[in-house]
Amino acid sequence: MTEAILRGTETPSSPDTSLLRVDGISKSFPGVRALINVDFDLAAGEVNALVGENGAGKSTLIKILSGNYSADEGVVMVGGQPLDPSPRAAHRAGVATIYQEHHLVPMMSVAENIMLGRWPRRHGLIDRAALNARANAALARVAPQIRSDRMAATLSPAESQLIEIARALSQDSRVLIMDEPTTSLSGPEVAQLFEVIRHLKAQGMGIVFVSHWLEEVFAIADRITVIRDGHLVACRATADLTPEAVVHLMVGRAVQDIPHTARVAGKVVLDVKGLSRAGAFEDINFCVCEGEIVCLAGLVGAGRSELAACIFGDDAADAGEITLDGRRLAPGDIRAAIAAGVALVPEDRRRQALIGNQSVAVNATLAVLDRITRSGIVSQRREAVALETAVTAVGARMASVAVPISTLSGGNQQKVVIGRWLARKPRLLILDEPTKGIDIGAKAEIMELIQRLTDEGTAILLITSELPEVLALSDRALVMRSGRIVGELPRAKLSQEAVMNLATLG
Amino acid sequence: MNNAPKVGESLASGRFDAASGTRRLLQIVQNGGLLAVLVLGVVIMSFASPVFLTRINIENLLFAATVVAVVAIGQSFVILIAGIDLSAGAVVALASVLSVGLVSFYDVPIGLAALVALGAGLLVGIINGLSVTWLRIPPLIATLAMMSITRGIAFLFSGGRTITPVPDIYVEIQQSRLLGIPVVILGTLFLALLAHVVLARTRFGREIYATGGNPVAARLAGISTSAVTVAAYAISGCAAALGGIMITARLESGAATAGFGMELTVISAVVIGGVSLFGGEGRVSGVLLGVLLLAFVQNAVNLLNVPPNYDYIVSGFVIAAAAALDVSRRRLLEAGMRRQTRTGGRRGPVG
Repeated sequence: MTEAILRGTETPSSPDTSLLRVDGISKSFPGVRALINVDFDLAAGEVNALVGENGAGKSTLIKILSGNYSADEGVVMVGGQPLDPSPRAAHRAGVATIYQEHHLVPMMSVAENIMLGRWPRRHGLIDRAALNARANAALARVAPQIRSDRMAATLSPAESQLIEIARALSQDSRVLIMDEPTTSLSGPEVAQLFEVIRHLKAQGMGIVFVSHWLEEVFAIADRITVIRDGHLVACRATADLTPEAVVHLMVGRAVQDIPHTARVAGKVVLDVKGLSRAGAFEDINFCVCEGEIVCLAGLVGAGRSELAACIFGDDAADAGEITLDGRRLAPGDIRAAIAAGVALVPEDRRRQALIGNQSVAVNATLAVLDRITRSGIVSQRREAVALETAVTAVGARMASVAVPISTLSGGNQQKVVIGRWLARKPRLLILDEPTKGIDIGAKAEIMELIQRLTDEGTAILLITSELPEVLALSDRALVMRSGRIVGELPRAKLSQEAVMNLATLG
Repeated sequence: MNNAPKVGESLASGRFDAASGTRRLLQIVQNGGLLAVLVLGVVIMSFASPVFLTRINIENLLFAATVVAVVAIGQSFVILIAGIDLSAGAVVALASVLSVGLVSFYDVPIGLAALVALGAGLLVGIINGLSVTWLRIPPLIATLAMMSITRGIAFLFSGGRTITPVPDIYVEIQQSRLLGIPVVILGTLFLALLAHVVLARTRFGREIYATGGNPVAARLAGISTSAVTVAAYAISGCAAALGGIMITARLESGAATAGFGMELTVISAVVIGGVSLFGGEGRVSGVLLGVLLLAFVQNAVNLLNVPPNYDYIVSGFVIAAAAALDVSRRRLLEAGMRRQTRTGGRRGPVG
């Protein structure tokens, strides 16, 4: 109902001021309709923020705008001209995209990177003077403090991003698409970026700002465009919206607390004392008990994954100690940690957890090879038993365990990755962003699975950036910021605001 | 469970029942195609040359293939973990000179000499493995260095001379038959079967595929990828040494020049046989077919009186085709994975 009202009050800007205009775009992939009849427009000197849940269709829209995908239906107009679906055409039309990963050549100078592939030449040789002059002109507009002769490899992520923006400027781009530009930036760096964005706005550039961080969206955007399940849900002036209203539009329902079942924590399983690792985290102290879910909350880059790697023995700490059930874990020894009962579900499924070309069965039994073999030979009977725990019991669905794991959906892959450990009956299960890239239905199932394991007495250390998940699952939340635990929130004091305040503010 | 896990090749192998037609086509080409090409070639050759289908020629062809097959089976373990062993040819030479030289020069008992030769191969393999895991030297460079060192030692030991005669027992084994089939051929087949079972049905085999398919995931699942790597190189070294003893028996002499350039033939055979150079994919049966195909090309070129150097050119084309096929199949697979794991946008806190 709210939706209908909002749709009715959409505020399309008039065609003559539109820098970029998208009419009735639809795009389907096998089995998915990613975008359905979506309109979008951007005026000169405007920041239009694009928000939506994972899988809502934001990425697809960006890829269409940047010419990487062609739309099945609908048109993209840039400055009144239809855009051909190719990245080159988008460049020529003045549409530049800044992705999360920065595309700089590390062993080239800042100036060479800004002018990448368009180096001015004289007599067939590169004209250094002209190169530096043109690069400096672009650099002066966004980051005069960076010297143009620095090697790109020495730049911080924030600086690399500014260089990419300078590159876009040097190409006379009129539209800048920024995909989650603040993910790897610190607070002051975000402020600096916003300063640059405001400056560019004033010069008449149009900016599409894609972000999950609603505070940022409200701080910088003139208008907010919300998409959900491939549909345009709303496009309204920021002043007419509140963060709560936007969340409501994104999820299609009011965010409500998932009922939390009170549990009685048992004896201490994991005890971390004074753990430090240079450049990652410092003086970490905490414990996790039997049947307890402790959540490590914080922003990306706060040192949570690095801490998890140390506990699992994938990395050795510089100082401090880790004990499991009262016994000290040998630092930097994964196999000792596993033997003691630690299990890890890593953050990046494809890179860190899956043997992509192998079957579900091979992937599901990877951590229990010692238990499914008899004098080194795989026993079919034992493997079937292990698969029962690793695949069937966690509710992973597939045609057969012989299909390659890469053909499964993200949710089913993740269930198998969790299931792989269950036959070992881990004492401590570390889950790093366990619902990343997983659709909502499977997400709920995985959250249920985590609660079930806790009820069976497993101690769980959950790293998640999804605040609703923190609220739904954790018995206690530890908030990390810049490598330190800056606060502990017992269940009673847990709220999204409390976590965000600790994670982002002093 | 009803979709009962059929352990073994159906699970731990480079197979996928892909829905994609293109991928399936590539799969057929890679698996069935090799056999089809070979059968077609045999049919054509049996018409083109009266000698081809004679028992002597076929046995010659197979004999020549046995040495390459044994070394290739060892090499497969290394390539399956995304490594490469360039020292294999040099190990063939070292084993060759040791297995006869120790007997001729130092009166070492024959059995012990053979064991020392195998042990030398094992040692070279272990050093290769440690260079790759401990010193973190890229496999190509580590084994290239080892190739040079090993070949040098073989020359040093033999003084550059061809060592004859070989002990009688080598010749006897070479000539003996079981049920009319040369024992060497049967032995090679047995070794292939053994390697197949190890790769498809043992814990070590699973660890090999996991380490090659995704070393990070394997390590995080508690597999000691360093130990697996060293073991793979050790197996390759041992197999190359065995190949060295076999070639010595066949040529009835030990020489430091034995197996010169053989590592390239062997790697070609493995890749033609569908073992991915990116690791984690491939089977022993494919490797055998790859070896046979290369041996067949060589034999055909011989019989048809084509100048022998054309053999290299034809083999080169076969290798390039096999590698191109591997890359395109790999890309399809990765595209499939990206589709599965990266549906939807990026994440971060909301609100």
